[in-house]
Amino acid sequence: MQVEDGRDTETLQMEMLLDALPKGSATDPASLALARLITNISNKKVPVSSFSRIWTLGSLQARVSAGYFAYWLRSRFSDAENKQRLKSEAHLAAALKLFGTMGYMRGAVMKVGQLLANLPEVVPEEFAEVLSALHFEAPPMHFAMVREVFLDEFGREPEELFASFDRQAFAAASLGQVHRARLHSGEEVAVKIQYPGIAHTIKADLRNLRLLLQPLCLTIDWQDTLAKLADIERMLLMETDYGQEAAYNRKARLVFNDADRIAVPLVHDQYSTRRVLTTEYLHGCHINDFLATDPGQGERDHFTRLLTVATYRLYYRLHWLPADPHPGNFIFMADGRLGMIDFGCTLTLSDEEWVFSNEAIQAALDKDLQGLNRAIARACRFDDPGDMEPDRLEVIRQGFYWFMEPWQQEGIFDFGDRAFFLRGIDNVIEATRKGYTRSLPMTLWSNRFTFGGRAFCYKLKGRCEFRKIFKQEAAGAAAKLT
Amino acid sequence: MRISEQAKQENRSRILDKAAEIFNSKGFEDSTTRDIALAAGLAAGTLFNYFPSKETLAMTMVSEALVQGREDYLRRCTGREELAEELFLFVASGLRRLRPLRPFLGPVLERSLSPFPRKNVCQEGETARQEHLAAVQSILARHGFTEAPDYVAMTMYWSLYLGILAFWSNDTSPNQEASQALIDYSIRMFVQLISGSGADKGEADAS
Ligand SMILES: Nc1ncnc2c1ncn2[C@@H]1O[C@H](COP(=O)(O)OP(=O)(O)OP(=O)(O)O)[C@@H](O)[C@H]1O
Repeated sequence: MQVEDGRDTETLQMEMLLDALPKGSATDPASLALARLITNISNKKVPVSSFSRIWTLGSLQARVSAGYFAYWLRSRFSDAENKQRLKSEAHLAAALKLFGTMGYMRGAVMKVGQLLANLPEVVPEEFAEVLSALHFEAPPMHFAMVREVFLDEFGREPEELFASFDRQAFAAASLGQVHRARLHSGEEVAVKIQYPGIAHTIKADLRNLRLLLQPLCLTIDWQDTLAKLADIERMLLMETDYGQEAAYNRKARLVFNDADRIAVPLVHDQYSTRRVLTTEYLHGCHINDFLATDPGQGERDHFTRLLTVATYRLYYRLHWLPADPHPGNFIFMADGRLGMIDFGCTLTLSDEEWVFSNEAIQAALDKDLQGLNRAIARACRFDDPGDMEPDRLEVIRQGFYWFMEPWQQEGIFDFGDRAFFLRGIDNVIEATRKGYTRSLPMTLWSNRFTFGGRAFCYKLKGRCEFRKIFKQEAAGAAAKLT
Repeated sequence: MRISEQAKQENRSRILDKAAEIFNSKGFEDSTTRDIALAAGLAAGTLFNYFPSKETLAMTMVSEALVQGREDYLRRCTGREELAEELFLFVASGLRRLRPLRPFLGPVLERSLSPFPRKNVCQEGETARQEHLAAVQSILARHGFTEAPDYVAMTMYWSLYLGILAFWSNDTSPNQEASQALIDYSIRMFVQLISGSGADKGEADAS
């Protein structure tokens, strides 16, 4: 980084940081102290910058995000009493130090911080961008390390196991990286390899995150946050077992046929373990490269339809929420099929959750206000709508109406409509700003599912007959049952 | 009574096998040379003709494992590795050979490889250390790091390596995967230190 070579970099960075912080903070002496603290922490030299993809506060952008994050945290208890506030600041200082030591989650946490700090002025494009960048990344492995994993998992070197194996990874994964290889039988495969001991890192990071958020326990529903963090941990740790992912993958393959034009890659069990997952290689590209080809509306609509069919097929047929609709998980294949490759973060709804989820949808479809309010209260962890502040009920209900818009509309629905997407963001912002975040852990994943999917289709500027599709999928699932 | 060279070799390897078994089941501290001699069907005095102490016995195993590890490393090395990668390959190959000895290795290594000066140097331990460091030095030289003040770089390397060994011999994670991450970090850090910032990018630094 060039900035670091200058003499007065410290001051320079401070200024940039202050500049970047939300308005008003540059003149506030407390913010000055905060900015200094952040500069100090982020300047802490970690002598390993060459492998610092996520492990150090490397780039200025990361520093700024950390600053935002700190600012946001601070604003959460800004109206607390002074004494309380000082105590919180001390917490915050300690928390930020911890933040500087976090490994695996820092990238994602900073993205959230950036988003939250920008909240009032977030634009749809930025929202979509941050959402798609919002995932974890393991440190890169050199080939010698990959070989050790293979010896442990298969007792053989990659070149012995495969006819050919690329030394260089072609993609990063959340817990490791992906290499291309060829089986002795000739098939091309993608081999996903987990960074050793990553589960341990995740646990440590989440422990740190809990500490980092500790100051918030003064002002928001702390138990609720803890429950959600526990759920995040459970899902992340579930992802560390590629055997589970393979099992999901196999089930998913069964619900699609050739006519669906949806490809779920075949898992090669012989070459897969808990730490290594070998799947059929799908030729194609991700959304950005697809958009770079300047596709016509027809193509955009085509893939929007496939994405909708794919996700709602999984929802209705298997009661799954593909809770990680990250753009990296979809492949635009040259032959027009949509490839779905990642089932690591799939939430299977319990029977109770499934019934509940559909009751809420049905109440909205039937315009049954009483029923809808009851469902909302439950999702927000209240016994009765009457226990909720009227404004909270209203804001959350608006959010649900937004979710339901495509379900209600006959004919084609345009997910590329900026005003529509913006309404959704505005609602999230309002709910967050007002602190209406208490909810069942499950809603974390359903929101991620919804927003991830819609951000994707927004980026795609795609349209589809959503209502027709969901009805078809619901009917298809019902027919299967009888 | 004179015994043939072949019988000697057989005795020696039988002693090593039995000792490994006994160390593994009883731990190093609680095993006695008597137990080992008994198990190998030899008189205690005869055993001392082969190995003057329990420590020498254990360090002979370590040193033989490390020799095999070095052979594995040479065989596996493609010549295309970056410095950090090659060091990783070297260290990991050695640990893989040490794996069968892992259950009793902690106290052995603590005694014999300690960097602190002591009166009775265990010759096997000292040889193992020197050979290991010589290999590291030749790896460094091949990657063009001959300028570094050797004793500084080597002392730093050795303390990292001992740290890795200590952690690894006590690592409860499956396949000691936590140690693998530790080796990765330690080596990258070492390379960074001896090369100044940014000289070794690490080939996987894909961004
Ligand atoms: N079968 C495949 N065919 C083609 N590319 C693949 C395949 N599997 C994985 N990839 C590539 O590797 C990347 C990461 O794979 P995958 O999504 O399975 O990993 P992950 O650990 O679940 O990562 P994340 O959670 O970030 O999505 C994908 O975005 C894709 O580019």
